[in-house]
Amino acid sequence: MLASPICEMLGIDYPVLQGGMAWISDGKLAAAVSEGGGLGIISAMNAEAGYLREQIRIARTLTDRPFGVNIMLMSPHADAMAAAVVEEGVPVVTTGAGSPVKYMEAWKKAGICVLPVVASVASAKMAARAGADALIAEGQESGGHIGELTTMALVPQVCDAVEIPVLAAGGIADGRSMAAALRLGACRIQMGTRLLVAKECGVHQNYKDMVLRASDISTVTTGRRFGGNTCRCIKNQFTRDFLRVEYEPGTTAEDVANLGAGALRRAAVEGDTREGCVLAGQISGMVKEEMPAAQIVREVCTECEALLGRSGQWVK
Amino acid sequence: MVAEKVKAMLAEKLDMPVEEITEESKFSDLGLDSLDIAEMLMNLEEEFGVTLEADATMTTVGALVARLEQMGK
Repeated sequence: MLASPICEMLGIDYPVLQGGMAWISDGKLAAAVSEGGGLGIISAMNAEAGYLREQIRIARTLTDRPFGVNIMLMSPHADAMAAAVVEEGVPVVTTGAGSPVKYMEAWKKAGICVLPVVASVASAKMAARAGADALIAEGQESGGHIGELTTMALVPQVCDAVEIPVLAAGGIADGRSMAAALRLGACRIQMGTRLLVAKECGVHQNYKDMVLRASDISTVTTGRRFGGNTCRCIKNQFTRDFLRVEYEPGTTAEDVANLGAGALRRAAVEGDTREGCVLAGQISGMVKEEMPAAQIVREVCTECEALLGRSGQWVK
Repeated sequence: MVAEKVKAMLAEKLDMPVEEITEESKFSDLGLDSLDIAEMLMNLEEEFGVTLEADATMTTVGALVARLEQMGK
């Protein structure tokens, strides 16, 4: 059995967190992951707090187990979301796209376990200094908004830089990648893309199919030219149009920021995987089958456990 | 026949209407980089039972079709 101090801290069986994916990680998916022994995460995304409260209620009707909420700090509704997680008694908050420092005092007072997503050593140090309980070091293999470093390079450097536990994210989809992440110093992992195709995930079927059909080189990054807005998504008409405009001489950073507006919703909710943005990680090519979330969590952990048990084979 | 198959394969890969892909289409204009071209060649090898090598002069759909036709496909 994989043992991690953080499992006890969070009251979960398997050291697996589900990624907070906007328009995808809703109360139903989070509940399914938590019921499977991992930690489900509801994405608060850019919505208003009412949406989040509704998703929390849905999750609570489906599971008695703990689950968390991902708050995107750039959201115009971040303040309301930060208050909602306290009022709703959510035990775990993961944060992305910014520094959670302004909410830390209120969250710590409420006993919330805070796990910021970081993509560099400096942001890891800042988050640790602000009082984070653990960090999620996310490499650029991930889908969605990403930094520059790969999981392989980022995780050990973050582990060396902070005293608190580190979780690895980005490029993890099976027991092999989980075992590698643990060997890099992470105490547990976060998976997004693999859980996106869980049976309980309500993302549009066209979106799931696009991930299931993907190969190793199906993803591309958009928004890299001006920095700060880099996104990994599956190549389609949207990315071809985006990249053509992004690299035109007269294009400004603001033009690029506006190019993606509404595109994720178009793909994830409306199923327009041609003109919409299909965020997914580099491991999409390894994800070939829809299955229940609980089975995914169990399979990944069981395979990881077996591999770690055999790792003595490399030492003579 | 070969041209139709190649265009259909590309249309599916790129999720584009097949009419937008002509023999004059350059791979670079279709947004295909060298890795995409290698993947496409592997898929064509499987489809046609041939061995194809990436070649810097093969930059258009028409050139690829011509290569396959030369191989008697």
